[in-house]
Amino acid sequence: MSAERLARVALSVAAEPGDPTFTGLVRELGAAELVRALTENPDHSDLLSRVAGRLAGVDPRAVLDRAARSGIRFVVPGDDEWPTGLEDLAGAGAVNERGGVPVGLWVRGPGRLADLAGAVAVVGSRSATSYGTRVAADLAAVVGHAGVPVVSGAAFGIDYAAHRGALSADAPTVAVLACGVDRVYPTAHRPLLDHLAERHLVVSEAPPGAAPHRIRFLARNRLIAALSRGTVVVEAAARSGSLNTLHWAQRMHRVAMGVPGPVTQATSEGVHHQLRLGGAALVTGGRDVLELVGAAGEHLTDAPRGRATARDGLRVREQQVLDAVPVARQASTASIAVVAGLAEAEVDRTLRLLAGHGLVAEVAGGWRLAAGLECGP
Amino acid sequence: MGVATARCVALRGAVGHLIDVEVDVSAGQAGVALVGRADVALREGQERVRMAVANSALEWPSSRRATILLAPADLPKAGTHFDLAIAVAVLAASEQLDPRALAATLFVGELTLAGGLRPAPGVLPMVLAAAEHGIDRVFVPEPQAAEAALVPGTSVFGVRSLGQVVAQLRGEPVPEAPPVAAASGAALLTWRGQQRLEEADLADLTGMEDEKFALEVAAAGGHPLLLSGAKGAGKTSLAERIPTILPDLTAEESLELTAIHSLAGVLDPGQGLLVRPPFAAPHHDASKASLIGGGTGMVRPGAISQAHAGVLFLDEFALFRADVIDALRQPLECGDITVARQEESVTLPARAILVLAANPCPCGDYVPGRGRDGCSCPERVRRDYRRKVAGPVADRIDITRHVLAPTPADPDPFRAPETSAVVRARVAAARDRQRARFAGRAWRLNSQIPGPRLRDDFPVVAAARRRVDRLLYDGRLTARGAVRVLRLAWTVADLRTAAQASAPGAGEDPTAPPREDDVEVALRLRCGDPLTLPPAGHRPGAAR
Repeated sequence: MSAERLARVALSVAAEPGDPTFTGLVRELGAAELVRALTENPDHSDLLSRVAGRLAGVDPRAVLDRAARSGIRFVVPGDDEWPTGLEDLAGAGAVNERGGVPVGLWVRGPGRLADLAGAVAVVGSRSATSYGTRVAADLAAVVGHAGVPVVSGAAFGIDYAAHRGALSADAPTVAVLACGVDRVYPTAHRPLLDHLAERHLVVSEAPPGAAPHRIRFLARNRLIAALSRGTVVVEAAARSGSLNTLHWAQRMHRVAMGVPGPVTQATSEGVHHQLRLGGAALVTGGRDVLELVGAAGEHLTDAPRGRATARDGLRVREQQVLDAVPVARQASTASIAVVAGLAEAEVDRTLRLLAGHGLVAEVAGGWRLAAGLECGP
Repeated sequence: MGVATARCVALRGAVGHLIDVEVDVSAGQAGVALVGRADVALREGQERVRMAVANSALEWPSSRRATILLAPADLPKAGTHFDLAIAVAVLAASEQLDPRALAATLFVGELTLAGGLRPAPGVLPMVLAAAEHGIDRVFVPEPQAAEAALVPGTSVFGVRSLGQVVAQLRGEPVPEAPPVAAASGAALLTWRGQQRLEEADLADLTGMEDEKFALEVAAAGGHPLLLSGAKGAGKTSLAERIPTILPDLTAEESLELTAIHSLAGVLDPGQGLLVRPPFAAPHHDASKASLIGGGTGMVRPGAISQAHAGVLFLDEFALFRADVIDALRQPLECGDITVARQEESVTLPARAILVLAANPCPCGDYVPGRGRDGCSCPERVRRDYRRKVAGPVADRIDITRHVLAPTPADPDPFRAPETSAVVRARVAAARDRQRARFAGRAWRLNSQIPGPRLRDDFPVVAAARRRVDRLLYDGRLTARGAVRVLRLAWTVADLRTAAQASAPGAGEDPTAPPREDDVEVALRLRCGDPLTLPPAGHRPGAAR
C-alpha cells in the first residue's frame, strides 16, 4: 500500500473535512510530504499543531482494515474510480471557509464513483411541501429513466424524494453524507441508506464514525455539486443549505438549475432569488434538466405549444380575407372584398385557396365559414 | 256504547307528536266520520280498518255511528300507520275490548283487509316520541320489533295481525297468523357494491400524503372538503375512503341516524342501530327532493339527511342543478335542513361531511401547468364551468385540495402507507378532545363552532390571530374564510396533540389553543396550497 494513500487516510481522520488549509496543502505538497512535515517540523501554527498532535494517534492501516470489514473503501486521486470532476474544486475557492479537493472519499456500495460523471444533483428543503416532493420525485424519475444517475444528500424532504424518484426508475442514485458512511442520519432513513449501500453508493469525505456536525454539511454540499454535471434546487427558503450547493455548482461552472414554486410560499424564496439573479436556469421537470446537462443536441425538448389550428399557417393576406367572411351568414365575394379592403380578384383567388384548406365553403351566391370555425379565434 | 282512546304518533320530519285516536261509537246515522286533518292515505284507513275488523272475527259497529277524532285536531297527520290505533279504539268503544287495556300503550301499523299488520316507515322516531311521554308499551308490526326495541325501557310486542293484538290485550292465548312482509323499501336484491366499499382502505392509495391528511382533518373536525383535479386523478377513491377513517357513531348519533333511516324506510329490518357512519353518493341528476328531502305525503329524508354523521359525496359537483347546489347552503351553515312544503315545514338533521369533487373543466382533461394538456374545452367554456364551481357553496367549503394523478414515482419503497385503522385511531382521539372541550355545548365538532363563540370562547394564540387578520386586511381571506381557517386550526391542533399523546388524552389540556403552525396548516388547507408534510416515518404513531 502506497505511503501517499496511507497519509491521506491519516489526514482524513485527523483533519476536519473540507478544511481549505489542508486540502490546499495536500494539493501543493502531496499528503505524504505534508504528514512528514507536520510530524517532523515542530514550528507551525495552532491549527497545524492540533492536527499534527492528532496525526500521532492515527494508525491508518488499522483504520482502513476496520473500514474494509464494514464494506467501506477509501478512494483517492489516481484511483480508477476517482471522479475527475472533483478536481474542479481546486480552482473554486472557498465558501464558509470550506473548499478544495477532498483528500479522499469513503465509499460504501457496489457502484463506481467515476460513473457519476453526467449525474444530476437534486437538492432542496428538508421541510418540503407536497408540491416540492412531488416535483423532485418526478424530476429524478425522468432523469433516471434516461440513464442519468442522481446525487443528493440523505435528509428529509427533497433529498428523500429525489432518491425515491430515481429508485422508481431503477436508476443509480447516490447519497453524499456529512457524517461517516457507516452512520445513519437521520435515523428514520436507515432503510433508504441500507438500500443505497447495498445496491448503489453512499459517499462521504468524513471518516467512518464521524458525527453529522453542522459545518460538515457545508463541506459536503461542495461534493454534491462537484460529483454531478448539474445541480437542481427544488425548494429552498431564503437561508437554505441547498443554495450553498447551488453556489458551488455556479463556482465550478456546472449547470445550476432551480424549480419555481408558488410565490406565496416561503419555501420558494431562495430559489426565486437565484432565478431572478440569473444564477440558475428555470426548469420545470426532468426533461428540461436533461436538455441542460446533456451534450449539445441530446435530450432536446419541444417548446410548449398550444393546440395547432387551421389558421396557424396562413399568411397575413389570407387571414385578412378569412376575417372578412362574416361569422353567422354567407357573403358575396364583392362584399368580402369591401370588408377586407382588397381587390376583388385577389379576394376571389384567396377564398378558393382557403376553401382548399377547408376554412371556407362556396355556397350559392357567395361564401361562408366552414363548420367549426364560427366561434372565432 | 262509549268512548275509547288509543295512542299513535304523527311524524313531522324526525319529530314525533303523540296523537290520541279517540273513537266514539253511539246511536245515530250509521257510518264513520274521521276528523282531525288526516291526509288521503290515512283517510283510506277507514276502509282498511273496517274490513280488517270484519275479517278478524270481530264486529264492526256498522249499525251505529263511529266518530274518529285524531287529537290534537290542528296538527296535520299523514301515513297509514294509524290503522291499528283506530281499530283497537273502535273495538274498545264498541265494548269488544276493555278501554283500560289501551292505557299507556302505543299502536303502530298498517292493516290489510285480511287483518294482517304491515310495517310502516318511521317506527323508531315514533317509539322515541312515545317514550318521552311515558308510554312504555308498544305494539308494532313484527318486522319492526327489533327497531322499536332500540329504545331502552320499552316493552315491545311484535305482532302479525289485528287478531294477535286483540288476544294480547284481552289476555287470551295469541292465535297463529301468517308472517308479515317486510317494509316496502327493503332491498329486493343485493349486489357487491357495498362490499366493495367495505374492502376499501386508505393504504390502497400510494403517495397522496397531502390529500390523505386533508381527509384526516375533514374526518376529525367534520369539515366540508372540495377535491378538484383532472379525471382519473383519484378524487372518488379518496372520498370513498373517508368512512373508513371515521370512528363508530356515538350513541346519540347512532339513534339520530337510525331514526332518519327508519323515516326514509331504508332501514334493513333486524339490523338494529346503525353504528358505522354512512356514505351517500347521489348522482348529479338527482332531484332536489331526493337530495334535500321532501316528496308527497310524508316528508322523506333526502340523501343529505340519510348521510347524517357520515359522508355525502357529490361527484361532478358542477353538473348538479343550480337549485340543488343552492339548497346545500343551509346544511353547510347550521347542520340541519328545513323542507317547507305547502303548510308544513319540517327540519331534519343533516350533519354529513360534505365532499365535493370537480373536474378542472367540462372535459376533465385540463392539467394546469403542463404545456401539453389534453383539454379540448374552449377557454370560455372552462371559465363558465369554473364560475359554477366557485359559487357561494364553494366559499363555505373549509378545505380545498387539488388532486394530481399519481405517478410511478409516488410509492415510497421504504415505508408502507398508513392503514385506515391507524388514521381512524387519531381521528377518534381528536374527536375525544372535541367532546371534552364542547361538553355542555350545542355542537360536537370544530366545524360546527358558531363564529362568535369561536372568537370569544375559543381563540387561537395571539400571533396566529394577527396572521389571519393581516390576510383579512389584504383581502386574501374573506370574513367567512377567516372563521373557517380558525375552525380548521382547532382540528389541526387536535390531531397534532392526539398524535403526540402516547395514551389518549394523557395530560393534554383539550382547551389549549391552536398554535401559529396549526393556523399555517389551516390556511394552506383552506387556500389549496401544498402542505409541508411531516418527514417520513416521523409522524408520531405512523405505521412502520
